[in-house]
Amino acid sequence: MPYNVIALIKQIPDLELIKVNSSTSEPILEGVPFRFENLSKNAVETAVRIKEKYGGKVTAILYGSDRGTPVMKEAYAMGVDEGFIITGYQESNPRLTAQVLAGKIKQIPHDVVILGNQSADSMTGLLPGMISALLNEPLLSNAISVELNANSAKISSGMEKEVLELEGSMPVVISVAQEINEPRFPPVMQIIAAGRKKINIEPSSIKGNDSTKLLSRKAPKSDRKRVVFEDIDKGAQEVAKVIKEVAR
Amino acid sequence: MKFLVFSDNLDNGKQIMSYLNGKGEFVVYTPDDSKEYADYGASRVVYLKGEHQAKPISELIASEIKSNGFDFVFITSTVTGRDLAAFLSQAINADIIPEVFDVKLQDSKVSTKRYGLGGKVVLEEESNGKIFTVIPGISDAVPSGTSSQVETKEIQRGNVNILSVNPKKGREVDLEKASIIVSVGRGLGKKEGIAQIEPFVKLVKGELAGSRPVCLDYRWLSEDRQVGYSGRKVKPKIYIALGISGQIQHIAGMRDSKIVIAVNKDKAAPIFQEADYGIVGDLYQVVPKIMGYLS
Ligand SMILES: Cc1cc2nc3c(=O)[nH]c(=O)nc-3n(C[C@H](O)[C@H](O)[C@H](O)COP(=O)(O)OP(=O)(O)OC[C@H]3O[C@@H](n4cnc5c(N)ncnc54)[C@H](O)[C@@H]3O)c2cc1C
Repeated sequence: MPYNVIALIKQIPDLELIKVNSSTSEPILEGVPFRFENLSKNAVETAVRIKEKYGGKVTAILYGSDRGTPVMKEAYAMGVDEGFIITGYQESNPRLTAQVLAGKIKQIPHDVVILGNQSADSMTGLLPGMISALLNEPLLSNAISVELNANSAKISSGMEKEVLELEGSMPVVISVAQEINEPRFPPVMQIIAAGRKKINIEPSSIKGNDSTKLLSRKAPKSDRKRVVFEDIDKGAQEVAKVIKEVAR
Repeated sequence: MKFLVFSDNLDNGKQIMSYLNGKGEFVVYTPDDSKEYADYGASRVVYLKGEHQAKPISELIASEIKSNGFDFVFITSTVTGRDLAAFLSQAINADIIPEVFDVKLQDSKVSTKRYGLGGKVVLEEESNGKIFTVIPGISDAVPSGTSSQVETKEIQRGNVNILSVNPKKGREVDLEKASIIVSVGRGLGKKEGIAQIEPFVKLVKGELAGSRPVCLDYRWLSEDRQVGYSGRKVKPKIYIALGISGQIQHIAGMRDSKIVIAVNKDKAAPIFQEADYGIVGDLYQVVPKIMGYLS
């Protein structure tokens, strides 16, 4: 039985490429490219695998900026059929993000909405619950496996101390954990084909009234000694000395 | 001021209660054994009986807020806690500041600290936040010397069916109290590597821990040994990172260690920026050498 699946994607700055200004301790974001957020990739992979197994269509929605175009192309190469980029993203405003995404989701017929449980940059973990609340669709949280039946979805949910089998009626929202799958690396031909495919770009019409004021954004002080040995023998000797001193 | 706490993580819950003790009246809601929560200054501990589900718990808490008028809500950052916070913020139309580890309340404004950019920076913010999800470390857990009244409330059934509950195995190891931690990463290369590292762990009288791939993806170690943002936050006297690249989500869990030692074969690995002593080399060559100098 074919399903209409929506996958939500976040674009994030490439965290590994962010340097910190050594005098102000502030991150340098200029020139840092955006990339596909980790768990969003697991979400897209889950959606595409559903399509491959049961048939249907995968629509992806990215709330970000037009700098998210390469991310959406990557999603196309992974198997997404149609993609929407909604521009006008405002950082640190999960309620607005949820409102914008839920507004778009409501316009698209769907059986399942899939998203990551926590994003790799802000890690709020709030979107699954907020989107489920706004759509009034049940939330199956922290999936490590997914199975669809005629009118319902069943998942294994990886909680801290137990694994639950959960079931909810469609349409349903599913948040996925990193363990659910290993996202694919699409073959070159698919990447080339994806480059030619149309991406729908729409500005967001909802403006947030965010009361949150950023007072400071600094890297925590790290006053590590950073003594690095390339001579293994010397290094081992020094490290053994340090361990001995503490163990004493 | 009046606070409502939801906790389904005892250690973190105790820290939140200790933080609130003295700041006003607070009531704790928990699906855990309520007696465990009774010694930390709450005026009431409410045991939530029934299926442990975020949506119906949020409805129960929303109605308690309406009838009792709480000023702020503190929620442990767990799978259920984060979902619950999200549902609650929609239900009572209140702003939420997620994943905080520091909160200062002044009049109606709140200033909070949380990590941004995957743990690379600390965001200090001022807001009208009413709901907080709290990561471990907001305070030390200190019993109040008083005893809370305990009662029970029933959770309604939600719109999700729980078909089965299977406890995860794995004993709880007390990494937070370890004075030396030997932590292994993907650079270990194989499960059998654990057995090769164990004699070293014994020799230094340490505890064994790992990065997320080692604990979660490959399951070479049990999940309770995962150090990092989504794992344990540790502060041993010495943290020895073997074959760990030093991604920020890992650093967020060991940043407070007193001394950090890193072994990595890649000279450019970010872990060397977070280490006091680094050795560039193959861990399988370096570890026996360190052991040699120790004995
Ligand atoms: C929301 C979110 C939460 C996360 N939470 C956590 C968390 O709590 N904890 C965590 O650890 N990660 C977490 N991660 C994952 C994190 O981003 C990294 O992927 C992970 O920490 C990498 O683990 P690693 O260093 O073991 O592996 P890698 O990054 O693959 O590094 C392996 C290292 O080993 C070195 N190496 C290889 N062979 C050898 C050898 N023989 N000798 C010496 N060195 C060798 C390599 O040079 C490399 O630097 C999280 C990610 C997300 C998105």
